[in-house]
Parts: sequence; C-alpha cells; structure tokens
Amino acid sequence: MTVTSPLVRLSGVHKRYGGVQALRDASLTAAGGEVHGLLGPNGSGKSTLGKVLAGSVRPDAAEIVLAGESVRIGSPRAAARLGVAAVYQQLSLVPDLSVGQNLVLGSEPGRLGFLSDRAAARRVAPVLERLTPALGDVRFDDAVRDLAPGQQQLVEIGKALLREPRVLILDEATASLHRDQVALVFDIVRELREGGAAILFVSHRLDEITELCDRATILRSGVTVAETSVPDTTPDEIVRLMVGDVQQVEREHRDAAGGPVRLRVRGLAGGALHGVDLDARGGEIVGLGGLQGQGQSELLLALFGAIAAAGDVEVDGEPVRLASPRSAARRGIALVPGDRGTQGTLPARPIQENLAIASIAGRARVGVLSTRREREAAQSMVDALAIKIGSLADPISSLSGGNAQKVVFGKWLLTEPSVVLLDDPTKGVDVGAKAEIYRIVRGLAEQGATVVINSSEDRELVTVCDRVLVLFEGAVRATLVGDEITEERLVQAALRIGEGTQGAATGEDAA
Amino acid sequence: MTAATQAPPAPTVVDRVRSVRVASWATAALLVVAVVAAIALQPNLLTPYGVASTFATFLPLVLVAVAQAIVVIGGGLDLSAGAIVALSSVVAVQVMRGEDGLAAVGLAAAVGTGVACGMLNGLVVSRLRLQPLIATFASASIFSGLALLVLPTPGGTVPAILTGTFRQAIATVPMSVLLVVAVALGWLVLRRTRVLRHIRATGGDPAAAYASLVPVQTSQFASYVLSGAISGLAGLAVLGNAGSGDPFIGGDLALGSVAAVVVGGIALRGGIGSPIGAIAGAIILALSSTILFSIGLPTSWRALAAGVVVILALALSALGAPRRRR
Ligand SMILES: Nc1ncnc2c1ncn2[C@@H]1O[C@H](COP(=O)(O)OP(=O)(O)OP(=O)(O)O)[C@@H](O)[C@H]1O
Ligand SMILES: [Mg+2]
Repeated sequence: MTVTSPLVRLSGVHKRYGGVQALRDASLTAAGGEVHGLLGPNGSGKSTLGKVLAGSVRPDAAEIVLAGESVRIGSPRAAARLGVAAVYQQLSLVPDLSVGQNLVLGSEPGRLGFLSDRAAARRVAPVLERLTPALGDVRFDDAVRDLAPGQQQLVEIGKALLREPRVLILDEATASLHRDQVALVFDIVRELREGGAAILFVSHRLDEITELCDRATILRSGVTVAETSVPDTTPDEIVRLMVGDVQQVEREHRDAAGGPVRLRVRGLAGGALHGVDLDARGGEIVGLGGLQGQGQSELLLALFGAIAAAGDVEVDGEPVRLASPRSAARRGIALVPGDRGTQGTLPARPIQENLAIASIAGRARVGVLSTRREREAAQSMVDALAIKIGSLADPISSLSGGNAQKVVFGKWLLTEPSVVLLDDPTKGVDVGAKAEIYRIVRGLAEQGATVVINSSEDRELVTVCDRVLVLFEGAVRATLVGDEITEERLVQAALRIGEGTQGAATGEDAA
Repeated sequence: MTAATQAPPAPTVVDRVRSVRVASWATAALLVVAVVAAIALQPNLLTPYGVASTFATFLPLVLVAVAQAIVVIGGGLDLSAGAIVALSSVVAVQVMRGEDGLAAVGLAAAVGTGVACGMLNGLVVSRLRLQPLIATFASASIFSGLALLVLPTPGGTVPAILTGTFRQAIATVPMSVLLVVAVALGWLVLRRTRVLRHIRATGGDPAAAYASLVPVQTSQFASYVLSGAISGLAGLAVLGNAGSGDPFIGGDLALGSVAAVVVGGIALRGGIGSPIGAIAGAIILALSSTILFSIGLPTSWRALAAGVVVILALALSALGAPRRRR
C-alpha cells in the first residue's frame, strides 16, 4: 500500500445480539481511493460491521480510526458528521414520504425550523439526474412506496450520495438491481474512488467483486479471516476463503421433452402483461430472461394470484382460478418472492412460525396444529438449507438478509408444491447457499415439479435452466433451449428484442 | 421494508388493524351525510345561533383530535389527552379567579399545563421506552388526580371576557367557527416545519428514520409536547363553553379523539394522514351525537354511536379500495 495512513481502520470489533455473537474481533482497513470488498457467507457479520461504522449499531467494543484520528461513532448523525454514509441492506427509506423528502431526510434545508421545498428540490436535482438513466422517470414528489424495489434501492443510494461521503458503505446495494442499473452504480462508485473516497462494497455476486474491488476483507462467523488484493486473487480462491470448499454447481441441462405438460398458460394479460403463452412440463426448469421489468415478476405474481390478471392457466389439465394465493396454493403452486421484506415474511413472528405457516393445512389434523410436528418440519428446513439462526423461536427480524431469504424459500418447499415459481430466489444469498439452493431446485424438478424462475443474474439462468423464455413488454418474444443458454446469448436476445430487431434467438415457444 | 432492529414483536392481526386506513373520500362522504342528516333533523342548526353554539361544542373535541393526530402520526398514542384537558382547564380557572384582567395569564397557564403534561408523556415514551398505550393510560390517572387536587368539585367562575368572546361573531361569522378554521390554518403552517416532517418520518418507520439522521427520540418527545399544548388550548375552549371549571370533564375526550383520528383517515400505525382529516372526523362524531340526541336517544348512547361511525368509515373505505397486491 501507499505510505499514507489508511482512511478507515476498524479493529477489535465485538458485537453480541442475545445468544448470537455477530462479530468477534473483526477488523478492516481501507485506504482513500479504494473500493474495498467486504465478503463472507450469510450471517458472517458484514452488515453488522457496516452498521458499526455507520453508527446505527452500537458495538460492545471497537476501535475506529478515521484519517488517523481515533473516533467514537455513537449514532448515524455522528457518522454523518465524520463523512460516513451508508446504503443499508434493509433500506432506510420511509415509505410514506416522497422521494424528495426521503432524499433530504435528516438534513432538510430550511430556515427557522421551516422547510423549503424549493431548496430541497434544488439540492436533490443533480443526484436525481445522475441516477435517471437507471431510475427512470421518478419525480421529487413520487411516493417511495409506489416505486419498484430496484428504484427504491437507487433512491437509497442517492440519499447516501447527497451527503458527499468520504467513506461510503454499500451493503448489497446491487442485489435488487439489474445489469444496466448496476453499471451506473459502478460508474458512480468509480467517480467517488477517483475523488479519494473509500468505498466498502458488500455483495454476494463474485463477478461484481472482481470487476470493482481493489482489495477485500473476508469475514467468517464474525471474525476477519483474510485480507487480499482482489486483482491478485482468483475467484475460486476468494470463494474458498469465504466458505471453504464448495462444490460449484455445474451447468446441467436435461431434456424434459418427454413428460406431459404440467403448467399451461394462454393469453395471460393484465397490468404489465400482454398475452403470455407458456407450456412447461413436469421436471422442467424454465427461466424468464430479458431486460429488466418486462413483466417477469408480474408473470409469476399473476400465476400465483397475487396480482390481478386474466387468462387461461391449467395445472395438470385442471384450470386454475387466478383469484388469490390461497387458491393457487391449493393447486400446488408456490411462489418464492423476490422482495422478502414485504411479501415473504412476518418479520416480528418466530422463525418456526414463518417456516410453517404456508404448510399448516398439510400438517393439521382435523384443524388442530401440532407444535412438535411444526417444529420438526421447521428444523428440517433449517438443516436442509443451512439457515444460520439462534433459535427457532427468534423473530425473522433477527436474521441476516440472506438467511431471511432462505426462510422464505424453506416455507414454500414445505408445501411440497408441484409448480414452483421463483422470483429472484438467491438475491442476497451467499455462494455456498446458492449452490445448495440450485441443488434443491434441481431436486424438485427431478421429483417431477415444474420450476419457473426469474433471475436478475444471467449466470443463474445459465446454471439451472433447461429453457429460457425471453420477455419483452409483457410477452414471450424468444426462447433459448439447451446449449443456446449462455450469458452472451441472453444479453444479446434481451437487447435485440429491445431494439426491435426480432429473431435473435430461435423462433417461438418450442413446447 | 426495514426489519426494524428494535421492532417490538406484535401480533399480526393487531398490525393489520393498525394499518387500516379510512380513505379521504370516505371521510368526506361521512361528513356530508352527517351534516345533511343533522340539518334535516334539527333545522335550527342552520340559524346563526345554531351554527355558533354547535361549533362551540365541537371546539374541544376538534382541538383534542388535532392533538391526538400529531401523536398518532408520530407513531404514538395519547390516552391522557382528556385528562390533560381537565387539568389545564381547572388550573386556568383557579389562576384567573373570574377576573378579565387575568385571562391572558389563564391562557398561558392552560397551555403551560398542557406542555408540562406532554413533556412527562414524551419523556416516559421516548426515554424510558414504555409502550405509549400503557404510559399514557397511567399518566391519565396522574393528571386526573391532580385535577381533583386543584379543583375538588365543579365550580369557579370563568372571566366574562372568555365566555363572551366565545359567543361573539366577526363579520357575522361566529367566533367558534373562526376558531375551528384557525386550528386548520395553524396545522397548515405547522406541517411545513422540520419538527413535523421528522415526527412523520418517525411514525412511518422509526428504524429507517434513525438511520437517516432523524433525531427519533426528540421527535417523539416533541409530538407529545405539541399535543399537550393543543390539549391545553382545548381546556380553555371547554371553559369558554361551560362558564365554570369541572375536574371531571374530558372523560370521553381521549377515546373520542382516537375515534376522530381513525375516521379522519389516519392509520394508527403512524406515519400517514393529516390533522385536517381528524378535524373532519371530530365534526362527524360530534354531529352524530347531535343526531342521536335529536331523535331522542339518551347521551349514554354516544360511545356506541362513535363506535358505529368508526366501523362505518372503515367499511366504506374497504368497499371503495382498489384490489391491492400485498
Ligand atoms: N437485530 C438483530 N438481532 C439479533 N441478531 C441479529 C440482529 N442483526 C443481526 N443479527 C445476527 O448477527 C449475525 C450477523 O448478521 P449480519 O446481518 O451482519 O450478517 P451478514 O454478513 O450481513 O449476512 P447477509 O449476507 O445474509 O446479509 C447473524 O447471525 C444475525 O442473525
Ligand atoms: Mg447483510
């Protein structure tokens, strides 16, 4: 490194939550002008370490040195005064306020206690403009609750940028973003790096780490186990440092053409959907590709009866009423949503209850629940998915982001579904668990279930899918089958259709 | 959104109920219905005297509803609002001793008492982190007890200037109407302040607000103090109406204000709604008891009426709400 002292140095950081030691003697050193990766499996303490630096978690012990000076950071306000800003994994937006109000929240311009909307608009204008290519047409007055998850994430990033930080923490800030949006965030991060800021970058996407980071600190169970120079370390080594030896899931594609059609969709329309046709066989894993926001999530939600749509849907030849998630679940359809915060969990309820709730009907005897069987079922999922928890009685809100996502996944696996809809199922899940989830998805297919998966990561589609449907403006426009499914072809197909030149990939729906 | 770090575990059914929200058109519709029905049943409501005296009886509930609205928007609840009204009114009566010259001192005493009560509530909720429901339920009995110490039995005289002002009219508009309008305007000023923005953010999502540099504890504290001050004003309005002090007044004001807040479209979970809605809610509730009175039902049915109105408002909104994805 250079002779100048590092901009940030955290050492001897300890933090305990009840029975969970989230951090024990963790440390991290980052220089100005550096993008520093913070890596580790789910629950290893990355977010906690970030929050200690951002002042929103009070550590049991910690030494923090900023620009050579030992400091105490007791609150987010103290952190802000020191030039530290954070983008939290669980966003810190107030949904009832507008975009502009959120952007200036906590540092509203005004005089004598009165707010000036005009000054606020003037202050946020450059940031909103900078984000526009990825954010789309979002106005100062739009309500945050009406934005898509990706847009909310970008507003959260904008909020941190407004503080012009010299230390910026990005905690899985790219997890709900798509490629084009990620590219913009990377540009912004690089600009900040040019300006001498230190950026702490947390992500489970290895390619992002290798593309962006200069150095990286690796945490395991709350302990710093390594610090490496990213360009000098192979991705495999990074994975090994993080989770030990995981067997990478190889791409595998089977030809399920033989079986009967299990899920049949005709002319599904409503909202963002404009006539989706789809046939999927038992045992088949079908991916949804294309540019961001072309109706992929909506298709899954509509099939699950969670948003209003009309069309013919059959499972095993029986028509499905698209009335509600309950009627979908009764037909054996399960949905693992991408936005676990609002759709997937009851945050304040125990983990056991969250895992068991969707499969209650299957376990209850004449309407009476057995706590013991519920506990066994929940425990089996905790084991199968290696969910890191304190106890089954703890609330979901005590889990790290990735582990909460695994709970959502496990909840639906317990219903033993015949059609599994996955909406970005590995968002924020670490590499080890990702591999585990891919294996489980394959296992489900092998047992005859039909899997439809939407993913913000092309690699994920390449790894697990037998067939990928490329969506554009709410309809299936191309299909990639078998060996055609490569990351390049997926990007090409998405872009070509977007440009209006049809036929990048093979013709219409093969089935 | 944020799985709040200090989110208290709460049953989901309660969460649901707390986030139910009356649509503003439903509030407006109920207001129209209540006004039309009240006038149909009691045509003399429309006479200048009728309007003046009706609004005069509304004023305390309107003020307490606004006070309650501010606390509820900030994510809290104030069950002591009625007791604050009682305490500040008897303090004012004792201070003024029926002398016109002391009216201004009485005003200061009423508001000051309200502020002091609000500070106690605010400290207990924001620093000791007691549940607002329990904290203000307890403080309500303290305030009621104090009111009895200050004025053991109903009595005392209110300066003529106060009661007189209350019955005056400016350019034929009754004072009581002007005061209700002034309360609404006061809110329009208040909501442009940083304090209120922070109160709203705190009620919307305390963990997110804290991470966004909002002084969450101070905002909670401020919401109770503001609310207390307005309840203190309500104490004065009660005096202007009644002409004498009464330590037992305000027993049903707290629950009435909570009902007004709900009818006015403010979700009990906090963060959304406006006191303007609460003013409308207060008027709806007050009118509905007028209606019950004029069809011959005893006043003891008032609580029942309030309950019916709340349920009606919620049902109306549910009917009109578009199907939303959850
Ligand atoms: N508020 C809390 N209450 C109780 N336990 C908590 C709380 N926050 C975090 N933990 C625990 O601390 C540990 C570290 O959590 P942290 O969120 O820092 O992990 P992480 O590395 O960010 O994981 P992920 O990749 O899944 O986001 C986990 O075991 C988690 O369950
Ligand atoms: Mg995390």
